[in-house]
Amino acid sequence: MRTMSNQDEKPENGRSADIRDEQPERQPLRRELPEEVPPPAAAAGADAASGAEDTARAEGAAGAEDTAADGRSAEEGSEAALTGRQRLVKGLWPPRFTRAQLVVALLLFGLGFGLAVQVASNSDNDSALRGARQEDLVRILDELDDRTQRLEDEKQGLEKQRQELENSSDQAEEARRQTAEKEKQLGILAGTVGAQGPGITMTIEDTKGTVQADMLLDAIQELRAAGAEAIQINGVRVVASTYLTDAGKSVAVDGNKIEAPYRFQVIGKPQDLEPALNIPGGVVQTLEKEQATVTVERSDKIVVDALRAAKRPDYARSSSQ
Amino acid sequence: MIAVLGLVVGVVAGLLVRPEVPAVVEPYLPIAVVAALDAVFGGLRAMLDGIFDDKVFVVSFLSNVVVAALIVFLGDKLGVGAQLSTGVVVVLGIRIFSNAAAIRRHVFRA
Repeated sequence: MRTMSNQDEKPENGRSADIRDEQPERQPLRRELPEEVPPPAAAAGADAASGAEDTARAEGAAGAEDTAADGRSAEEGSEAALTGRQRLVKGLWPPRFTRAQLVVALLLFGLGFGLAVQVASNSDNDSALRGARQEDLVRILDELDDRTQRLEDEKQGLEKQRQELENSSDQAEEARRQTAEKEKQLGILAGTVGAQGPGITMTIEDTKGTVQADMLLDAIQELRAAGAEAIQINGVRVVASTYLTDAGKSVAVDGNKIEAPYRFQVIGKPQDLEPALNIPGGVVQTLEKEQATVTVERSDKIVVDALRAAKRPDYARSSSQ
Repeated sequence: MIAVLGLVVGVVAGLLVRPEVPAVVEPYLPIAVVAALDAVFGGLRAMLDGIFDDKVFVVSFLSNVVVAALIVFLGDKLGVGAQLSTGVVVVLGIRIFSNAAAIRRHVFRA
């Protein structure tokens, strides 16, 4: 700072000497200082000469270095007397409003400003990418694209899987539903579930005990031929394996003895069932010949609620599958 | 003193104003700041050595900034911008460290 003010006053010589005198020559000069120190009187004289013309020299000892070009060694001597720390302190205080100070201050203002701006813009949360270079941005973008692609693929895979699972569970549900449906249908045939629907009720009054099993069997056959779907006689369900036997004056169905009147409840199409029983030479006429009374009446709702336990066949196995 | 005040005022102004950095300058600002820091440390050392010259300082400050920005610009054009700015920062960092060491010797005598 001191030399700077020096140059302010003595433009050409002082500065060029200063600049030339930089590093290389410095150390040797310093070492030789003891010999080169000029007599105090000379230094003081020079000080007085320059101090007179310069008010800024009021700093006292600092004036010693500001001597003319040939006073180089003198300047070195006084500089050496000052340590770096003292120079720093002296540069800081008291403040001097010289042009050099102002120029440097301006530059440092620019530096501080740029520093703060850069730090601020760098520490913004959203602008981690802001300071990034173009190729970095391109790379980041590529990576993001790749990642998006990967995630997209993964998403598609997972969606496909989900679709398949839904389909299969739908299918399983459908299969279960169909199975349940089939079970009900088969249950009606096998007598394991109750049934209801349109049909007829046939009542055979047999006061004289003349009706025999084969007559009832004929009636059942005739009903089946006419499309009967579920039949029960006096609370006994008639299924594929049903057999009828005579038991004294009455009849046994599947070993269950039933007494007259025999009451058939049949589900099927009434318009088919009733004529089938009433045809000439048919069931009704045959029974009436034996002096039994037969009444047939149609109904929109016949309930066949007699059940039979499902029985697992001992020998027969399904040959399908 | 005025110079230190200038630095402080600059930092405060930068923090308060928070201007948007123009996109053109953006890649160069950090490098320019580091280069300017190097110049400042060099100037400080020169001051402690007693050979400070304001014109030298001004010229070195500005040329440091310009050259640093130029190198980054050139690096961007050549496609080695990232590496080259790393190199610039390393070199300037080394210089700052050596200047700081000299300053330390002056101030702390160690």
